[in-house]
Amino acid sequence: MSGGSGSGGGMAVPSGWQTPSAPVMRRLRAYFAPVQRSSGVPAYFDPARAGAFNPSAPPAGWTDLGWIENFARKSSSTISALRSGAPAVVQSQVRQELEATVGFRFLSWGKLQLALAAGSEQMNLLATASGAVAAPSGGTAATAARTAAGSTSTIVQLTSAGNAGLAAGDIVAVDADYTTQTGYVGSGASAAYIPATGIPGGSVDYIRRVTLNVARVIATSGTTTTTLTLEAPLLGGAPSAGLGVQQVIGFVDREGGSFFQEWSALFAAQGEQGDWIFYHYPRLQAMQGAAETMVKLADPLQWVHLDAQFRALPVTDSNDGAQALCFRSYLPAPNNTV
Amino acid sequence: MQNAKDTFYLTLRNRLAALNPARTIALAGKQRPGILVEENETPVAQRPPDVFVLRWTGAAVDHWLPAMLETQTCEICYWTRGSDTNLDMDRGKSLTQMDAELASILQPAVTQKLVVSGTSDLPMNTNVFWLDPTYDAAKRDGERLARTATVQVFSLQETLSNGSEEL
Repeated sequence: MSGGSGSGGGMAVPSGWQTPSAPVMRRLRAYFAPVQRSSGVPAYFDPARAGAFNPSAPPAGWTDLGWIENFARKSSSTISALRSGAPAVVQSQVRQELEATVGFRFLSWGKLQLALAAGSEQMNLLATASGAVAAPSGGTAATAARTAAGSTSTIVQLTSAGNAGLAAGDIVAVDADYTTQTGYVGSGASAAYIPATGIPGGSVDYIRRVTLNVARVIATSGTTTTTLTLEAPLLGGAPSAGLGVQQVIGFVDREGGSFFQEWSALFAAQGEQGDWIFYHYPRLQAMQGAAETMVKLADPLQWVHLDAQFRALPVTDSNDGAQALCFRSYLPAPNNTV
Repeated sequence: MQNAKDTFYLTLRNRLAALNPARTIALAGKQRPGILVEENETPVAQRPPDVFVLRWTGAAVDHWLPAMLETQTCEICYWTRGSDTNLDMDRGKSLTQMDAELASILQPAVTQKLVVSGTSDLPMNTNVFWLDPTYDAAKRDGERLARTATVQVFSLQETLSNGSEEL
């Protein structure tokens, strides 16, 4: 604006500091990392160390699951009054229950988004063997190819036994055979739990049927010994020799199953002034079956968004030993007063 | 966005050539299917009769999606005065035929996006899709009978092999 205030002197300059206002943000982005189920160790996000990061390049170990909508977190913790005397007078308060849930919609349908929103095991539809009997979660699978030594997380070496017809453009699942394993199974992230009694009549392909260790093949090379180049790194990292590799046609989830997906979650939003809000749930378990919400794009076109609901489980804060379900961090804008 | 526009035009052009090979236009000494993109041709005072003229108008981009959704509005304008042999008295029938041809070539309302070049067209990874057209009321001007149909065309922006974003 031109025209002075009448105070005389030179042009006013910015003070250098701004009184803080409520953050203005556009949308949240979700990042998930596996919880080591057998040991119960979650993945921690340290906002003091990681701080603001490029939304497209999250800290190591975290997988970007894209923008989300309708983020709503709810604290169901209860705080009760302790009373004494007659008449009873509140003397103090006690935190009686600690509980929190969080829900949102995924805006993209990747393998991990589908698995997290499914609530339970989320299966890979393995390409079927010739003459396989029809089954709603996929019939008997075609024989798996085998990994050879020298693979990396994006280059899978196969043995000379054959490539099982795999070609560029295929999705593949890479994991161990099911033999007599029990407990949590799946490379990179626990994808299912096998009870001590095992799976009655369980197929050798069961673990590859549930694994989250999947990727798209973008190129192949070789004739008898084939090398598969993958579009993205496998969640489980470089596969060891002897694992099975099978073509995945698609994915299927069920209303049913007894397994609960459990992941560490980070929801991040960058404010318009350069500030950041992080919601970190070290342990989230899925708490509803698969569901979708239709959102109108333009009649009759509709987006189909994946609904996801999770219940937070506690971790112990190493700074004071307190149990906590969720950590909200705020990194103020650079020039804001606090 | 340009790839989506080019793909939409090429799809309609090829479908029209298959549906009604007789609907053609001579432009720059060449006989072509009777459909053109106004902004790609030399400006003229009056659009040619009995051909479909695509005019791109509105555009919008939703940045807050996993892949940017581009929405573009295409007005498809056409007019006729019927045939000389029938002394223009078949202009209503002629316009109805163009309505029907347009409805036909707009189906199916989806096609694979292409990178259109002078030599070969490369298929991309996503599809271009569009809504059913909305038809304006026919406009009469003397012996001319004209109509404009409006189509909303959607496409997803792709990341190219060199890592850059598609324009």
